[in-house]
Amino acid sequence: MITQVENPVLEIHDLTVSYDQNPVLWNVDLSLPAGSLVGILGPNGAGKSTLIKAVMGLITPTSGYVKVFDKPLNDVRARISYVPQRESVDWNFPASVLDVVMMGTYGKLGLFRRPGKKEKELALKCLEQVGMSGFAGRQISELSGGQQQRVFIARALAQEADLYLMDEPFAGVDMSTETAIFQLLQEMTASGKTVIVVHHDIHSAMTFFDWLIMLNLHLVASGPKELVMNEEMLRKTYGGKLNLLTRVTDLIRQKDFNPLKS
Amino acid sequence: MEDFVYFFTFQDPSILWVVLGITLLGIGSAYVGTFSFLDKKALLGDAISHAVLPGICLGFMMAGEKNPVYIVTGAFLSGGVATFLSSWLKRNTKLSDDTIIATILSVFFGFGIVLLTSLQKSGNPEIAGLNSFIFGNAIGISEADLMLYGGLSLAIIVVLTLMLKEFRLMVFDPQYGKAIGFPMKFISFLFNVLMILAVVIGIQAIGVVLMAALLITPGAAARFWTDRLNPLLILAAVFSVLSGILGTYVSFVLPQMPTGPWVVVFLSMFALISFLISPKSGILFRYFSRKKYLRKTHRDHLMKALYKAKEEGKDGLLIEEIYELYPFQKAETDKSIRDLNKIGFISKNQSFINLTEKGISEAMRIVRLHRLWELYLNESMNIAPDHVHDSAEQLEHLITPELETLLEKRLNYPILDPHREPIPRPDKP
Repeated sequence: MITQVENPVLEIHDLTVSYDQNPVLWNVDLSLPAGSLVGILGPNGAGKSTLIKAVMGLITPTSGYVKVFDKPLNDVRARISYVPQRESVDWNFPASVLDVVMMGTYGKLGLFRRPGKKEKELALKCLEQVGMSGFAGRQISELSGGQQQRVFIARALAQEADLYLMDEPFAGVDMSTETAIFQLLQEMTASGKTVIVVHHDIHSAMTFFDWLIMLNLHLVASGPKELVMNEEMLRKTYGGKLNLLTRVTDLIRQKDFNPLKS
Repeated sequence: MEDFVYFFTFQDPSILWVVLGITLLGIGSAYVGTFSFLDKKALLGDAISHAVLPGICLGFMMAGEKNPVYIVTGAFLSGGVATFLSSWLKRNTKLSDDTIIATILSVFFGFGIVLLTSLQKSGNPEIAGLNSFIFGNAIGISEADLMLYGGLSLAIIVVLTLMLKEFRLMVFDPQYGKAIGFPMKFISFLFNVLMILAVVIGIQAIGVVLMAALLITPGAAARFWTDRLNPLLILAAVFSVLSGILGTYVSFVLPQMPTGPWVVVFLSMFALISFLISPKSGILFRYFSRKKYLRKTHRDHLMKALYKAKEEGKDGLLIEEIYELYPFQKAETDKSIRDLNKIGFISKNQSFINLTEKGISEAMRIVRLHRLWELYLNESMNIAPDHVHDSAEQLEHLITPELETLLEKRLNYPILDPHREPIPRPDKP
């Protein structure tokens, strides 16, 4: 059940990704329309984070390619914004909330140039959008998990991009904050931006997303929510890993050599 | 004393040079070191500083004398090889970081000592100066050497200042840096180069064995005082420069004293002081604020006892009755009574103690918080009435007026607590 679109914002062509000798995503092939709120669903270890890391070029794929706005990634990086998982950084780093959000402006500044007054104002505006204006001067280690998550979203907003990739931005966020952030994301997509979110909860996924990608080591489904969200697709996604595929992966690991890598 | 005045008035231009050099070196290495400390790569600095020894010896062999350019180049190259090897091993083996660091450090240092010993046997008269590389000798550095070291330090400081935002990103969130298209590989390569340079220029003053301390300790000590990067860097530099100058002074006054160990002694002093007395994270500070809190707790409980006596229709309590309430705590109780008397919450008439007007309203506040919290636990968290007292006993001292308003609203200004005791409020005029 894979719906392809004309003039996609993001095109993933036959993408295979391996960690060391271990293939974690097999031949993903999909395209996404502009201005939609896209959810990536799948069980633990299905390769959801891996997919968006590969899109961002943080992992080199074994084969296949990614095109964003019909161009190679490096030509359009300024138009893409990335929210990594909250646990990927050390929150004890000596910095204020504002310092972190200002990092969102680094990409446009480029090397050597320092953020100034304009960048500061932008950062404050983005903090306001996520409802964290009162926290600008706060040391980041004093924040709760949900607040840290919102700081990361504010940092992504400060990039003023057209495509947003978010890796589990709702992990550790309470219900009311989740709804508020979803509303913010819906406003963004209404104004033509595309937002792709790795997500866990099927229930809220049903409510908020327009488009769903379902992963379980391979691409199970990609398409408008109404077409994709049905019992068969959910069973294929969450009903356990394909037994044979797992056996082959194990075999590759034992050989200590990945035949998929040329 | 004479020495002290002589040294610190800089009458001797060579002392001025050394102090200037040590200052630049201190700032440079504190700067680089703070970043590597934040990046949790403190041990890498130690490995690099030990690993430059073979390079120094080889540089000396090539030049046949103590030529600073040869020695700096040799040291830089062998530090570079060590750094490269450690990241190569990390990528291509399953060895853990600490194993790799320990191996690199001991292999390179061992090889360096072998070279140094064979040089000493060669009978070259210039060799005497080479020993100072082990523990450092700031006073013995010639002006030409100082120019070179100072210039390199300045270069380190300039690069780090210009690229502060890039290095901040490298330490905090390199993945994000890569995602926004920054050349993170180049940035961390550049950082490694700066780190090796910082080690190389420090070894003659501080010595290979102790150079890591000059890199790491200033940042670690400064971290106790601040939560922001810029003040952290400045404070680390101040610690480092002060220790550097003091260490140099000692090795100037006491002949044969190496500089490195003394610099480390002073640095450790700064670190120890920071550890003990810095606000928030210092252990003495924490000890005293805890003690202060416990005293307040004791005073609050005493006030509550007096308030309850008042509820039962008594005017106050005899001091013996109060002692009985807190067995084995006579000294604390006496102190609390003294303090409360001083604030004007209680008045003491021989051995009879009662609350003043001011005391009544304060005691009422504590009792109110206690009972409000009990009710909150009982109503909102479904905890049985006989289990709520202990928690309230601990938390009544913490609840702020802001929280109190929230509690009152949440519980809709209740009249009774779960034990059917009244929740006291001042009469509205």
